[in-house]
Parts: sequence; structure tokens; C-alpha cells
Amino acid sequence: MLKMTGINKVFRTDTVQTHALRDFSLHVEEGEFVTITGPSGCGKTTFLNLAGLLETYTSGQYLLDGEDVSSLSDAQRARLRNQKIGFIFQSFNLMPDLNLFDNVDVPLRYRGVSAKIRKERIEQALAAVGLANRQRHLPSQLSGGQQQRVAIARALVGEPRFLLADEPTGNLDSNTAEGVMELLEQINQQGTTIIMVTHDPSLAARSQRNVHILDGQIKSDDRNSKARAA
Amino acid sequence: MFMYYVRLAALSYRRNPILSSLMVLAVAVGVGAYMVVFTLNYVLGGDPIPHKSDQLYHIQFDYGDPDVADFEPPPQLAYRDAITMLEQSSDFRRAATSKFVAILEPPGNDLRPFFVNGRGSSADFFAMFDVPFQYGNGWDRAADDGQRQVVVLSQELNERLFGGADSVGETINMDGHVFTVIGVLDYWEPTPKFYDVNNGPIDTGEEAYIPWSLIAGQQLRRSGNTNCWAAPENSSFEAFLNAECAWVQFWVELPDSQSFDRYQTMVDNYVAEQRDFGRMQFPVEKRLYDVNEWMVYNEVQPDETRILSALAAMLLAVCLLNTVGLLLSKFLGKSGEIGVRQALGAGKGSLFIQHTIEAGFIGALGGVLGLGVAAIGLEGIKILLGPEAPTQWITINVTVIATTILLAIASTIIAGLYPIWRACNINPAIHLKTQ
Repeated sequence: MLKMTGINKVFRTDTVQTHALRDFSLHVEEGEFVTITGPSGCGKTTFLNLAGLLETYTSGQYLLDGEDVSSLSDAQRARLRNQKIGFIFQSFNLMPDLNLFDNVDVPLRYRGVSAKIRKERIEQALAAVGLANRQRHLPSQLSGGQQQRVAIARALVGEPRFLLADEPTGNLDSNTAEGVMELLEQINQQGTTIIMVTHDPSLAARSQRNVHILDGQIKSDDRNSKARAA
Repeated sequence: MFMYYVRLAALSYRRNPILSSLMVLAVAVGVGAYMVVFTLNYVLGGDPIPHKSDQLYHIQFDYGDPDVADFEPPPQLAYRDAITMLEQSSDFRRAATSKFVAILEPPGNDLRPFFVNGRGSSADFFAMFDVPFQYGNGWDRAADDGQRQVVVLSQELNERLFGGADSVGETINMDGHVFTVIGVLDYWEPTPKFYDVNNGPIDTGEEAYIPWSLIAGQQLRRSGNTNCWAAPENSSFEAFLNAECAWVQFWVELPDSQSFDRYQTMVDNYVAEQRDFGRMQFPVEKRLYDVNEWMVYNEVQPDETRILSALAAMLLAVCLLNTVGLLLSKFLGKSGEIGVRQALGAGKGSLFIQHTIEAGFIGALGGVLGLGVAAIGLEGIKILLGPEAPTQWITINVTVIATTILLAIASTIIAGLYPIWRACNINPAIHLKTQ
């Protein structure tokens, strides 16, 4: 599903070159729940941005569902993001002026879905994260955990093939984080591939597979036998 | 998606009301000031009769004063030349016309006598200038020749005298002469008043129209400009009519190039003949001016309005430069949201449309407020002109409203192009982590 081979990502300024990823190769199969760990600055987020087509790489090959993404135009990349990828961020990234319904509506708007179908899907997505009765609330009226649930509903509403989560529990207390993690596990069990960046070893231990990055390279890629089966 | 983007623009306004209002204000001031000058130019520089302005020609003859070195040839005709032109132009629609003033004694005892500004015109005047009638009609050439005492009233005078009713067949008394009403005009205020720019291009129309032959025939009190370059032989009215004094506007309708050529030849021959008699010794640049040429020649649109236009355009540019900075600040302040939208599937095209509509939204609000600024500016001009000046033409009409809104939207979008471009090229990866 996601296949990166020999990816290099170099950030350049006038005087400095920084190799964020070096000869990075990773193959993620459909339905996997993969956690990405590593110290700050090791390249976790860069990998996630490349995987999510938010940035371009310097060299190497990236196949998404077998399609080489290197030659895609901005519009094609945007379409792929909209149709195949869902994003969950550490700081939720909800739009503060839009109520929950309208926040979840955003990806469907860019897909050109009819109003009737959008309404059905948004209601289903909010119901799936337990916020069906809060559709007209603004994000500021919700707790952090609830906001992250909205972000998950927004990521799921377009029925993406895989979710990219960047420390989704990083801003939550342990109880709330546990609830969000359980939700992600449920989503994975329903067949959605998840790649999650985390600093938390206990969360990494719950995934099927943990990839550890150091200095822009994969240091370990371990299957976790204790993880729940997908 | 359009309405969705409009809604986003409204939400964005609400999020940053002070910044957004500053932009609206900047656009309003720039566009409003520009529209004040635009209105002046629109009124003074517009084509008042566009469908036939290239068929109506005013005559100018080679008049001159040998004692005055820089004598400007007057833009009117002497009476005897006007009479000759009427005779020699009978194959065409033509109009000799000039102003008069008279005391009107209203029918009945309800109103006191009052002055009316009138116009003497030969019969074709109404057809040539597409003058609209509410009741009745104008007169024919036979009425001109026979000096029939008929009158056409303006809508306003008919309202004053007869309460707006059909007054055809009624009589009125002007300067002791009884005139029969044969027509009442519908509203007619061509601006500029192209058929008599010599007596004020922004002047109001006349209240009563009578056959031009009556002005000489009944020695009515003429009004309007008179240019003489040779004194009449004596103080009699007859001597004045034969003097080298220009006070008649003369128009002819030449519907095609053949008519024009024929008429031009006739006029040139007439001038050559008069030159042999010792008249018309000072060649003019041209003798036939169409409506727009005539208004340019008579500087209906003064140079000051062009200077004002340039100043207003500069003010608009300064206001828009401010808007560029404010829009840039606003759009870059939304980098986080833009990054999220990109992650959720917005391409650069979608972002471009969204932010163009947001700029247009601000422009539209600026345009609406700009109408208020323009209205205040025009009121200021009315005050500057004073209470006696005709100011009915200083008004915000549909054209001005539409132009203001469109100018505001278009100029704000143009000013927003750079901020929009920057917004569309935000690197989402940087902002998603830090939002």
C-alpha cells in the first residue's frame, strides 16, 4: 500500500544542508497499524509529511497504492490526499470558527460530494466518535479529548485508505489518550491502515509494528506479537 | 462551492473584525473618492445621445473681429446666417434654436406671474433630439413659417400650471402673448445639455418651447450668450438681427456620409460667398462638429476634472497598497488553517478561489461603504457649487452604483493577488505541526 524505497529528504538553506531522511525504505501493508518512534528531530514528522504528500522528497521512490507520486501535479496530490489519506494531528487542528459539523464537512467539500450525502456521512462520522449530539458546537466548547475525536471523525469521513496520525495523544491526559487510542484501534480493526508517530513506548507496544527512526534512518522495524490482531 | 467560500469569507471577517474593517475602510475611501470624480467625468464626458451623436452636427462659421488678435470664433450663428441655413438645409432635419425669458401669467387666480426660461426652436428640434412627449406633439415647419403661437411645456411647468393633467388645447399667456399648448414633454434632462453647451452644459432644460421664428417675429426677450464683433447700425431690434452678433445655435441631422459631404459642400460654398462680401474672413478649424466633437471643442469636460481623476486614481492606489499589506497580514495569519485545508484535500486552485472570493467579499463591502463616501463627496460638491448652481445632475445612479461595486471588487482582487499567491504557496508541513 505504502512503499518507500531509498527516500532522501534534504532541507537546504544558504549555508546548511540538513538530511532529514537518508536512504529511507519502508513498506506498509494494507490493514497494518504501524507506530513510528524516535527522538525529537530524527525525521518522524518528515516521514509523515512525505507519506501524506504534504512535502516532496529529494530522491528515491514512493509508491502509494502502486502509483509513483513523484510526478503528480499539485492538484493530483491534493486529490490523492483527499481520497486516500486521513490526517490526525497532535494539536487537533480544528478550525475554530466552524462548528463540528462544518469541520468534519471540509474534506467532503473538496471532493464535491452532494449536500445530502455529506450530511449523512458527517452524522455517521460524528456518531462513530460519540459526538452526534454536539454537531453545532464550536471546538472551543469541547474538551481536548473531544476535539481529537472530532479530528478523527474529520479524518474518517472521507473513508480514507489510511490514517496518518502525528502524536494524536500528545496533548491529552492519560485517560483521554487511552480513549483515543482505543478508538484508533477500532478503526484499524475495521480495515483502515494506520501509521502513527508517537513518543509513548506504551502506545507503540500496542501497535502491530513499530518502526524506530534515528538520524533519518530506520534503526529497527519490529513486529509486536502482543498487539491485537487486525 | 461559491456560497461556501462566501460563508468562509464572512467567517474570516468575523474572526479579524478590526483588520478586516480597516481593509473595507481603505477600499471605501479609495473607491469612494474615485467615484466622485468618475461621476463628474461620467456626466460631463458621457455621450448624451449615443445612438445618433455622430449624425447631429453643429455649424460654426468663420467669424472674426479684425480688431481683436486672439478672437475666438463664437460657437453660435448670427441671425441672418441661421435664417439662410434654415432655408438651404430644408432637405435635412435642422434646428435653429436659442433661449428666451418671459413672464408667464398663469391661468386662473391661484398663482402669481413668474419668469419662465424658454427655448425658441424650429420644428425639427424635437425629432432630431428624440425629445419624449407625455401629451401631444411638437409643431411642424408650417407653424415655424406662419409664426403660430403654440407652445410645448416641460413636464415640470405642466405640473405647476395644470397639475400634470393633459393640457393640450389650453392656453397660457407669456409676455402678453397668448400661446396654445400643443404638447407636454415627458422627463427630459440630457446631461450634458449638448444642444446648448454655450449657455451651460449642466444647466437645466427649458420650461417652455415655442417656434424659433416667434423670437424675432414678436421680439421676445432673448436670453443666453451673445457675441458681437461689429456694433449694430442702431439700437433697433431689426438692426440687432442684421448685426454681426452670434446668438443662435444651429444643428443639422446628417444621417450618412453622402448627406454629410453634400452639406459640407453647401456650407463651404456659403462661407466662400460670404467671404466675397467681406464677411467670414477668419478660417475656422472645421465648420461641422458632431455632438461629441462639439462638447470637446467647447471643453464641456474641463481640464480640472482630468487632474482630479489623476489625484483620485493615486489616492485609490495608495488605499489599495494599504489593502495589499493588510490582506497579506490576514492571509498569512491563516497559515495554519490553510495548511489544514491542504492536508484535507485543498489544492492550490481551491485555495486561490477561496481567497480570491474573500478578497472580493472585502471589496464588495468596501464598495458599499464607498457608495456612502461617494454620496458624501457629491454632497460636498453641491455645497461648493452653491445653492444657485444646477445640481440635479450630481446624483448616484445605477451606473455609478454598479461601477462602484465592480471597481471595488476588481481592485481589491487585483490588490489581493500577491497575498493570495503567498497564501496558496504556504508549506503546510511547517504549519500543521506548530498550529
